[in-house]
Amino acid sequence: MEPLARAAVRRAILVGGVVGAATVYMCMVGLVGAFAARPLIAGVGGEGPGIVTLGLVMLAAVPFLAGMTVASRLRSATTNASGALAVGCAALSGLVGGVLLAAFTLIANAVPLNGVFIPVTPTLVDILTFEQGPVVGPILLTIVATVAGAIGGAIQLLDSRDRRAILSGIGIVLLLALLKPIVDPILAGLELDAVRDFLFSAGGLSQAAAALTLALVVGLSWAWGRPAAPLRDRMRSMPAEHRRRVGLALAAIGIAALLILPQISTGFVSLVLVNVGFYLMLALGLNIVVGYAGLLDLGYVAFYAVGAYTMAILISPSSSLDGPITALVGPEWAFWLAIPIVMLVTALVGILIGAPVLRLRGDYLAIVTLGFGEIARILFGSDALRNWVGGPNGVVGLPNLHLPVLGELTGPGEYFYPVMAFAAFAAFVAWRLSNSRTGRAWNALREDESVAQATGVNTTNYKLLAFALGGTLGGLSGALFAVQLRTVFPGSFLLIVSITVLAIIILGGMGTIRGVIVGALILVGLPDALREFGEYRFLVYGAALVAMMILRPEGLFPSKTRRAELHEDVDVDDRPQLAASGEATA
Amino acid sequence: MTAPVTTPAQPDGEEPDAQQGMILEVRGLTKRFDGLVANKDIDFDIPRRSIVSIIGPNGAGKTTLFNQISGFFEPTEGTIVFDGIPLGGLAPHDVVELGMARTYQNIRLFQNMTVIGNVLVGHHVRMKSQWWQAILGLRSVREEEERSRAYALELLDMVSLSRRYAEDLAKNLPYGDQRRLEIARALASGPKLLLLDEPTAGMNPMETRQMTDLIAKLRRELGLTILLIEHDMKVVMGVSERITVLDYGEKIAEGTPQEIRTNPKVIEAYLGKQATA
Amino acid sequence: MLKRPERLTLLGVVLWALRIGIVAGVVVGAWATLSSGGLSGGTWITLLTAGLSQGAIYALIALGYTLVYGVLLMINFAHGEVFMLGAFSGMFVANALLSADGFLVTYPLLGLLGVFAAAMLTSMLVALVLERVAYRPLRRAPRLVPLITAIGASLFLQYTAFGMFGSRTRRYPPVELLSGRVDIFGFSFQRIEIITIVAALVLMALLFYFVERTRTGRAMRAVSEDKDVAALMGINVDRTIVITFAIGGLLAGAAGVLYSLLFNRVDFGMGILPGIKAFTAAVLGGIGSVTGAVVGGILIGILENVGPSLLLFGLGVPSPNQLRDVVAFSVLVLVLIFRPTGLFGRKENV
Repeated sequence: MEPLARAAVRRAILVGGVVGAATVYMCMVGLVGAFAARPLIAGVGGEGPGIVTLGLVMLAAVPFLAGMTVASRLRSATTNASGALAVGCAALSGLVGGVLLAAFTLIANAVPLNGVFIPVTPTLVDILTFEQGPVVGPILLTIVATVAGAIGGAIQLLDSRDRRAILSGIGIVLLLALLKPIVDPILAGLELDAVRDFLFSAGGLSQAAAALTLALVVGLSWAWGRPAAPLRDRMRSMPAEHRRRVGLALAAIGIAALLILPQISTGFVSLVLVNVGFYLMLALGLNIVVGYAGLLDLGYVAFYAVGAYTMAILISPSSSLDGPITALVGPEWAFWLAIPIVMLVTALVGILIGAPVLRLRGDYLAIVTLGFGEIARILFGSDALRNWVGGPNGVVGLPNLHLPVLGELTGPGEYFYPVMAFAAFAAFVAWRLSNSRTGRAWNALREDESVAQATGVNTTNYKLLAFALGGTLGGLSGALFAVQLRTVFPGSFLLIVSITVLAIIILGGMGTIRGVIVGALILVGLPDALREFGEYRFLVYGAALVAMMILRPEGLFPSKTRRAELHEDVDVDDRPQLAASGEATA
Repeated sequence: MTAPVTTPAQPDGEEPDAQQGMILEVRGLTKRFDGLVANKDIDFDIPRRSIVSIIGPNGAGKTTLFNQISGFFEPTEGTIVFDGIPLGGLAPHDVVELGMARTYQNIRLFQNMTVIGNVLVGHHVRMKSQWWQAILGLRSVREEEERSRAYALELLDMVSLSRRYAEDLAKNLPYGDQRRLEIARALASGPKLLLLDEPTAGMNPMETRQMTDLIAKLRRELGLTILLIEHDMKVVMGVSERITVLDYGEKIAEGTPQEIRTNPKVIEAYLGKQATA
Repeated sequence: MLKRPERLTLLGVVLWALRIGIVAGVVVGAWATLSSGGLSGGTWITLLTAGLSQGAIYALIALGYTLVYGVLLMINFAHGEVFMLGAFSGMFVANALLSADGFLVTYPLLGLLGVFAAAMLTSMLVALVLERVAYRPLRRAPRLVPLITAIGASLFLQYTAFGMFGSRTRRYPPVELLSGRVDIFGFSFQRIEIITIVAALVLMALLFYFVERTRTGRAMRAVSEDKDVAALMGINVDRTIVITFAIGGLLAGAAGVLYSLLFNRVDFGMGILPGIKAFTAAVLGGIGSVTGAVVGGILIGILENVGPSLLLFGLGVPSPNQLRDVVAFSVLVLVLIFRPTGLFGRKENV
């Protein structure tokens, strides 16, 4: 065998090892078991959940993706291997992974592992063997893994247009199936029962709907990618002004849809969105501290807590101060009058936290702020301060939020609106700040603190400003959280909240608002929508943080600056089109 | 060039010191770092609108002197008076506001910000928009941004940096252009005194000549006083009116280029005792 | 990096006020407690030994932090989870040895050695995987990137343990050899505390020997000083880093077993607080300094056990021991604000 093939085979085996380890890990940690009960496409392979369950799809995704990477490496411009070799190696990696997984299945069948590894139950073995027993099952498993790898490799053989079409198709079908708990209630609310029946059945996407969606998306994507696609070319050649108007129109439609969403779906959907809203505000606030000013704050939850407790103490009649604001203006206005006070208090806390840490650099700053956050959490829940903040029981009895004309709000469906409004306000504030003199000063401070100072930026003040403003947004979120829940108790303000908010920013791309929104939707919305996720969401957060840092540290939607900070870039002189482009946009 | 520059405020309504037209007066300046004496008892003056160079072998303490003058280090001993105002206790950004700006030996641009972004940060001290005004989107903020951008582009013109590069990231610029950008950034704060730390380092003869022309132009057209640290003797001799020589942290000579060229102590410092023996 | 000059600012005033406030608080609280006579000498001895034994454990974990920081200049945030996984595997082995016709009962010493070996080995493996998968690809990345990765890894490992082993708090099986009390100089101590202190001291001594006297130890010290120069001198930097992680892991695994025996519990979140406290200890002692980690660990242990009672009892604060973690975190915050180089640390630009 020639050296290229030999190296490729060796690599494929190595990747197969990783596939095996990853899939076995997924089984041992319980991901497969937990999600095997969720059917994606109903009825494929028999009654009940069938085989196209989320659990099995997750398992199959691993050799599939591995096959894709193996093949893409071999088919790159520098290593122009034959298609056969590419697919062969992809299949090989699937095979090796499958063998490892099958071996694990056999062991799990023979030895009772669930004394140590709780999720490794006979049920899991049944899932892995497709209920075909310990002989046929593992063989079937290996075959599935190999085929998945081969398909992944084969996809790389297509040209990029076809590949994109197929991947989009599969992706959209899976997404649609995953989001059934969201889409279904919406359709029910809109009374589109016929559509509902067509789309979903027996817990998952119906086979017909899956096939139709696949065909549609693949077809559309393929058509869009055609060399002479009239619609796409017309869209791309539209002048900027025109394009902006189309963009605005689409955004308006999107916002309108968002606004009627709670009316047409269940409380569950609204609750998910409300939770996303809280985290979105937190992330926007932390984005100012971390993303704009470059101050890694791991204790951000403290602002959330201070905002919530301040609001609670001010407006709850059963608080330590007997809810002075409520006593003053009644429950209708209590929240609104208390808000500026909450903002002021959290801004002050921001300055108090920021002042002692001004001289600290990156990792030490992070740890100190973590310390602050933890001190806050413990103090809020302690007996020592029980008389002021209620100890482990917290503060209860907050009145409901009242809107001026519309009256009292009850239930997440109604709270949705003020939460979204505040989140939009936070996004607006963040956006305005980022494009201003202040935002530039923060960027400079983040880039090179000494030089920023020597260029005229009062870095002390701007750091304090970042903490104060970022903290205020966090406090606002906390205040809303308190009012929506009508109680505040210390268990809500754990370190994990700070880390989740950080993960949102990292995933989405520090420094952009769009990125933060996407991050919040993925890391908070998705796990909330998929109930089986439960505590596994934190597993995903952790893995996402590590993966992002290694693969794409600038996040999914980075700002130009961020991407530049973490990657090499192209010299201006090497870009001929710049020389010919004429005047720069000033 | 019309610039939306507010004249630097004079505290207590003092008049700028017109005594001998000195824009900078340094007396007895000493800087110690844990036993190492980087600058020792240095006295020197810079007349307004002059171009002065500081030269000396490597390690002579030139950059430390810059750092003290620009407010980066607190002097261990000695005083610095800039434009009649003593600088003791002022933070670096305050010094910029008073009218001093600098560039760096190894270029320290905000690499991942755009070219125009860098210049705008330089202009930060002369702008007035506050964070809350930005949030409210007041017209004054918008107008100030527009004015500042226009000014920044004019500054790019002044340093012969093509406007085409305005939205490119600073780190993608060729070396010579990066140096010029650093100067544009320094100019954006409307300084009276410009400190340039080895502005021609790493440049070929043509670029060097362009830089010297630029330095002369800045003094001529903007009325700036310029203090240079330089190693390239042709530049030093060609553009400076006065030269101060440092060695081992002390001032060993001062005078016109002609005087310095023939000063035996200077020659000895650069070439060693044998050269003059 | 240009140093910031010293000047009298609002910030300086605030920091001084903070210093004075803390010193005053400590003095007043301590005096109030001691003069009230509400706590007997026996109580103090109990608190002190608890502090010493817990401090010894913190020291073992802190050594891992300090060694890794020395060679990589990064905070291995996930080290607490390395500790936790060691504790778990030790527990499983202990349970196994107990049920397999009471090996642990018949040969308790051997059995315990087996438990320790299992725990230390597991922790070492986890540490090595961490280094290879999460940290090595990021050697050249900007500072914050490895920190964020470490946070992610910590989260990931915690919830891996949650998924695999469940959320229930487990415990080690009771071992005759370790339970009960022992009398020394007329004072009664818990046997497990004494054993913890002794075991930790033995391990630390072994580490000292290793770092000071062996070639690999010298290599570690060289890499801590200057990675590039060490490479130029022919030291295999990658291998040295791997060994550093391995040693940190071994110590953490042992700490895991001792901790679980001392507190009689094992759960997936057990690494978070001890991890942060051990890191505090490393910083207090001077991050990068082996002696510092040991001293810091013991100090933290004593401070958090004796501190709340000493400072708060006299002031009439209810349930002062709820606030023991606050003591540790406060030490962390204060050390980093006022003396980031710690007690024995090198002078470094923070």
